[in-house]
Amino acid sequence: MNHDPFQWGKPLDSVYGPYNAKIAHATNKRTTNIKDVSDFPTMHTQQPMITGTSVISVRYQDGVVLAADNMGAYGSLMKLDDVERIVKVGKDTIVGISGDISDMQHLHRILDDLVVEDRYDMESDHLKANHVHEYLTRVLYNRRTKMDPLWNACIVAGFDEQGEVFLKYVDLLGVTYTSPALATGFGAHLAIPLLRKKADTDEDVKNLTKEDAVQLVKDCMKVLFYRDARSLDKYTLCVVEKSTKQIEIQKDVKCEDMKWGFAKDISGYGLPQL
Amino acid sequence: MTQPATLASDYSNEVAQEPIEHRFNPYTGIAGEDFAVLAGDTRNTSGYNINSRYDPRVFDVGDNLLLTANGFAADSAQLISVFKNQLEWYHFDHNKALSPQSAARFIQHLLYGKRFFPYYVYTILAGLDEEGKGAIYSFDPVGSYEREQCRAAGAASSLIMPFLDNQVNFKNQMDPASHGTEKRPLRYLSLEEVIQLVRDAFTSVTERHIQVGDGLEILIVTKDGVKTEYYPLKKD
Amino acid sequence: MVGKDCVAIACDLRLGNQSLGVANNFEKVFQLGHVFLGLTGLASDVLTVHENFRMKANLYKMREEREIEPESFANLVSSTLYERRFGPWFVGPIVAGINSKTGKPFICSFDFIGCPDFAKDFAVSGTASDQLYGMCESLYEPNLEPEDLFETISQALLNAADRDTLSGWGAAVYVITKDKVIKRYLKSRQD
Repeated sequence: MNHDPFQWGKPLDSVYGPYNAKIAHATNKRTTNIKDVSDFPTMHTQQPMITGTSVISVRYQDGVVLAADNMGAYGSLMKLDDVERIVKVGKDTIVGISGDISDMQHLHRILDDLVVEDRYDMESDHLKANHVHEYLTRVLYNRRTKMDPLWNACIVAGFDEQGEVFLKYVDLLGVTYTSPALATGFGAHLAIPLLRKKADTDEDVKNLTKEDAVQLVKDCMKVLFYRDARSLDKYTLCVVEKSTKQIEIQKDVKCEDMKWGFAKDISGYGLPQL
Repeated sequence: MTQPATLASDYSNEVAQEPIEHRFNPYTGIAGEDFAVLAGDTRNTSGYNINSRYDPRVFDVGDNLLLTANGFAADSAQLISVFKNQLEWYHFDHNKALSPQSAARFIQHLLYGKRFFPYYVYTILAGLDEEGKGAIYSFDPVGSYEREQCRAAGAASSLIMPFLDNQVNFKNQMDPASHGTEKRPLRYLSLEEVIQLVRDAFTSVTERHIQVGDGLEILIVTKDGVKTEYYPLKKD
Repeated sequence: MVGKDCVAIACDLRLGNQSLGVANNFEKVFQLGHVFLGLTGLASDVLTVHENFRMKANLYKMREEREIEPESFANLVSSTLYERRFGPWFVGPIVAGINSKTGKPFICSFDFIGCPDFAKDFAVSGTASDQLYGMCESLYEPNLEPEDLFETISQALLNAADRDTLSGWGAAVYVITKDKVIKRYLKSRQD
């Protein structure tokens, strides 16, 4: 057997002679004369393969609550049930990533490289959430400009260099925006209306306590699990807290108090009526 | 090192279909005697989603220049950051402020430089010319530009532009004393009139356009610098 | 457009084949009794639909021994267009008039398969509808006197048509009150 990576599995020419492309009308000769890496086709992500669904986030008076479930779906198949889609970058940043999981892992890798580079200068940690966001924006925008996008939508949360709370969205096109409530994917349809009931303006944010914000996000994750077929009842929940300068990450949080009884008795997705 | 020609079509495609997302908010620029205003809705949308209710897209880029690039949001951000960066280099190289007409010609170069993969944006530049008069320059995505008295771009531009023709340039208006033989003479509008006009235009457009209606941010440039005003809209 | 005890209806005069201007005297507003019908869209359909409604309005008049009222006519337009749901007339109709019994002004616009929009203030149709919406929404105010209504609808139409390449070449404006109708032709940009 040939062990050349581009000929892998093929019979060795030295043993069996060159492959006769005419056999069985196999007209595609290209595979037999690929000689080096640059002959290998340039591949572009045309569509996401294994995907992560929504990331949701909301600001409250002292920070941000952000959550993403642990599923990686391959079409309608639950391919992965324990993926971590919230990435911690350095001390002051978390990034929730939805979309293609392999592209997410690539982003994870280059963000880790960024942290390593930041630590070469050992004086202090300079890498803040706004820097991570800008870097991601550059990466994603450049890749879309090359017509080879990284198929993700990300929400970056954390602290900026003033120690202020930071929350901003960026997606595969390099589009960025911020708002008191941000969500990707299905969350933009199902969670945003619920989140905006409690946090539509900066004024609302000032009145939203940590407990309420966490409960709100948990309720939204429950609604998403009810209605988004590619979601899981197990998720990671993060709280960025300005007063303690901490980012708390709770893993394996489960949806609670779900109602799966007869639909007649359930209203408002089983949530307390907001 | 050559690839067989078929490979490209085998493996690429599809990505090319929509590398952009539409985000057309209306923007209005009006020039006055000694001021210029550039105003825009602060809503950020994609499809039927409202991404953000406050995402200001009119920028004070320095040197008493206001700039907005409306259309595909990521291209808009890129164009503006390139402009700001180059403006800084201009200061280092020449140690003077950039005039609006030079800025306009430079923006043409930025846009036309990407003629075959354009920035998908409609750009408006506002500032004061060397006589201190208000100046509005408007651009198409590939850099054609023109100085104007007023311009509306983006989502509801087709709704706002005829209104501006009528109320700023007095189009189709006659001098009542002449019994329809003389045009109403042109005059510069005052700042108060212009702001009222812009607010009227945006409240009207809020009624009829789904991508408009969170808030109106008006940036005003005078010889004393840039002022910002914000007026909430109906948010519906 | 609706005013105080009056309505106005106006059209441009251009007939065009795509960007080629064909005629500058093509009126799109027709009078049927005391009801006014504006028709934009495919010119052949404009003429046919007009003739069709002229027939129907006359038949109505003979059967009922009175002129058709704007409200009834609007419903007639709606049902007639919907009859052709799957092979429609390509027209954008607007009905305007004053009810001869109640004296109430009435306007109504339709899509090309007859979905009515009973607007209280103004109705627009045609290639310059975006521009007209922008103009009307900002110039219109309720309860205008006939002469003020004339000025408002004229400014709205003229300025909207000037920002639409397919509209213009003159305009015709009808101001309708209970006891009289004033029709005026407007000069406009000829480009």
